[in-house]
Amino acid sequence: MILHTLAHVGTDQFADHTGWHPKPQGLCQGDVCVPAAGSLRSDGTIDIEVAAQRLGMPLVHDEAHGVWALGPATLGGKALATATAADPELRTHDGRPFRLSSLRGRKVLLVAWSSY
Amino acid sequence: MEPAHTTKWIDAARPADPALAHPSVIDTQHITDELFGFSNIPMAVWIDEAGTIVRPAEGASIEQSPMRDMEIPEGLPERLTRLLVEVKSIPDVALDYRAAIVDWATNGADSPYVLSADEVVARSQPRGDDEARAAACFELGEHLRRSVGPDAAVPWWREAHRLYPANWTYKRQAWTLVTTAEGADENDLMQGPNDVYAGNWLDDVIASGGGAAYTIVPQL
Repeated sequence: MILHTLAHVGTDQFADHTGWHPKPQGLCQGDVCVPAAGSLRSDGTIDIEVAAQRLGMPLVHDEAHGVWALGPATLGGKALATATAADPELRTHDGRPFRLSSLRGRKVLLVAWSSY
Repeated sequence: MEPAHTTKWIDAARPADPALAHPSVIDTQHITDELFGFSNIPMAVWIDEAGTIVRPAEGASIEQSPMRDMEIPEGLPERLTRLLVEVKSIPDVALDYRAAIVDWATNGADSPYVLSADEVVARSQPRGDDEARAAACFELGEHLRRSVGPDAAVPWWREAHRLYPANWTYKRQAWTLVTTAEGADENDLMQGPNDVYAGNWLDDVIASGGGAAYTIVPQL
């Protein structure tokens, strides 16, 4: 996730990019929750630095351009922490928003491809 | 890839029968790499009706490559011959994988190819500190390529390549941008030696152990 400040980020944006949702028990992805005291701020936003530390997410900084990138969680050493599929907002080629959850009730074969 | 560039590919993949239509979505920020563990293409995950992954990201070819049984012509340049040798050595389980998909579509949770939640997680791609940092470096590079210019991406993509050499998506995305001639209709699939990045397709495949190490072979 690209960040222009380390102060905080909205919970929806955080969940969209990372798959981790704030809940009373911590930051959760499917049935997996990580205690994350201090990561949810009183204004309802996520404290990026605290959340990154709790979830083992690297923060990379390009000083010249004043921008950070937050990497994915490293819990368990695997790309997936849970079998619950993430649900990012993607775009169709004509710009309409699309979520995998719009296909619930059907089997989904999600194929990654590029023409390279 | 910019959304506007995808139309011809999406049109080519559109089934003639509208009843078989499928969504095609664009992931310009490589979010799905991070969320599902894609590290090359084609790769796929299977997601059941409730939104549960029942097979993690793995190689997803469904047609045997025509190169598999091709005789390599004599007299080709040495480097091209070696490239074809490595391409032919990429494991090809396309027909078995396609049969597995059909079995799942038919039998659902009773398909022997459906994995438990624990197995899905265990079989997903590695994600240690280096792989996670590589993802951040790659995304930062892509952001800077779009917002500043191509040169701003280079140091971050070099670092992503160094941290996660088994991620071919990071490499191929970077290589194709420097080896494809300006104005060309098609991307340069050879992705040969260049002045910007240390690696290139052929030498990196050889260094990684050859074509056999190039793809995540589905364990069916």
